[in-house]
Amino acid sequence: MSIGRDQVLHVANLAEIGVAETELARLVEQLNSIVSYVEQLDQVTDAPAEPFLAGPVAAPLREDVVGPDRLARDPAAFAPEFRDGFFLVPRHGAMEEL
Amino acid sequence: MTATAGTVARDVGARLKAADSLNATLSWSQAALDAEAERVSRLDPNAEASPLYAVPIALKDNLVTTEQPTTCGSRILQGYVSPFTGTAVNRLRNAGAVIACKANLDEFAMGSSTEHSAYGRVKHPLDPERVPGGSSGGSAALVAAGVVPAALGSETGGSVRQPASFCGVVGVKPSYGRVSRYGLVAFGSSLDCISVFGRTVHDAARVLSVMSGPDPLDATTVDRPPLPVPPSRSDLKGLTFGLPKEYFPADLHPGVRAALARTIGAVRELGGSIREVSLPYSRYAVPTYYIIAPAEAAANLARYDGVRYGPRLNGSSGDIRTLYRSTRGHGFGPEVRRRILVGTYVLSAGYYDAYYRKAQTVRALIAQDFQRALGPEGVDLLLTPTTPTPAFKAGEKTEDPVAMYLADIFVCAISLAGLPAMSLPVGRDEGLPIGAQIIAPFFEEARMLSAAAALERVLRPEEEVRA
Repeated sequence: MSIGRDQVLHVANLAEIGVAETELARLVEQLNSIVSYVEQLDQVTDAPAEPFLAGPVAAPLREDVVGPDRLARDPAAFAPEFRDGFFLVPRHGAMEEL
Repeated sequence: MTATAGTVARDVGARLKAADSLNATLSWSQAALDAEAERVSRLDPNAEASPLYAVPIALKDNLVTTEQPTTCGSRILQGYVSPFTGTAVNRLRNAGAVIACKANLDEFAMGSSTEHSAYGRVKHPLDPERVPGGSSGGSAALVAAGVVPAALGSETGGSVRQPASFCGVVGVKPSYGRVSRYGLVAFGSSLDCISVFGRTVHDAARVLSVMSGPDPLDATTVDRPPLPVPPSRSDLKGLTFGLPKEYFPADLHPGVRAALARTIGAVRELGGSIREVSLPYSRYAVPTYYIIAPAEAAANLARYDGVRYGPRLNGSSGDIRTLYRSTRGHGFGPEVRRRILVGTYVLSAGYYDAYYRKAQTVRALIAQDFQRALGPEGVDLLLTPTTPTPAFKAGEKTEDPVAMYLADIFVCAISLAGLPAMSLPVGRDEGLPIGAQIIAPFFEEARMLSAAAALERVLRPEEEVRA
């Protein structure tokens, strides 16, 4: 399955990543190379005896108690703009067509 | 301040300065080292709780600490200082370790050469024209250059074992769930493991032992007691090593082949047995990894949007989506953007079954292969090359992402299966180190480390294997 320029722009839009026009052709070429490489998995037709699960079979639950705030500093120290308990962002303009 | 901790801080500072040309560090200062020494000097050097008293340890810069910036080698986190320190690092500090520095890495741990850092590439300590491997290349280079005896890295698909092999140091990836991921910046959450480099097997085992054990702050840690430092053994009697035939292809680099032949000879000399085994699905490990890891990365890296962390890049005006796209477009480097785009593509409507679900199926088949090979009817440990070649030259693979991905062909499958594995330096070819990989069953790190220590005593890793 090959990926065209419009599809790369669509995926970049979904991922909220700005892509410059000048880098688009190279990106289309590289993504096609990666996707065609991973498509060799189509050769596999077997099914595993059971699905793979990373980590413990049952996630342990800890006691449902409120612990102390572990943050060493206030979000104002690491967020670009923070005021009165809120992260500040530019206004939400008109959504462009997806 | 005791002389020991203070002396260590000054000596490490001098060594970091001398190793500056490697570009292996992203942040360190003599003042921070002295503060660490001051803190450590308040601990009892002889206490059982201080097994790492005054041991300097470097941290890959995707491990958060409140004292130093954590950049993940990315512009998108330039200047970011975490409001908390991770569990593994806290355990090291409580055990007396002196945190030496934050080490350079491929951006967000995505890469196999440490050329994808926004802060410049790391140079191989033995040949500045070559790469140290990656993504934990800064940590590996600092141990190889003798700056620190141990360093933390992280593995998602081989990012400690591969640079350990290239740099000629020990690199140990524990079982998934052995060490808490709390405080490790997430890349591929079903794969990520904090891992360790050491000058020797014992150095690495000591650090791993302190870090290991369950953590209420990471629900994927397995509820088993911390790993004790394994007792050393003088022979390998009673142990059978499996050689998976798929890991010894006909076109394997001749130096790597010779180094493995020497290692197999050492296993036999020490009384161990050798048996050929097969892991047929390992040939699909790299393509499986390059679906699952980017998919998880696309989800994990969605949080870097210029709102809550790090700088806002060229996105102060306009609307919120302009802010997102501008910050992420300018903040992420080319490899991270490629992986986020691939991950978003394989998870998108209409493609999920063909790519992501398929990769999960193959991942289970890969894990099943290992369970069989290391099961009751199988062998005790597996032995393979860590990498298909010694360290390659800088720039050799940067233009071809798939060629770079294939540098991890022998390490990826183990990460997908969640097993413990390590790279042990076993010889050199034309001056470049070569590592052998030892793979153990789930939570059998002690068996792997004690066998590696026995081999370490008889192998001469600084000798040429084809001389």
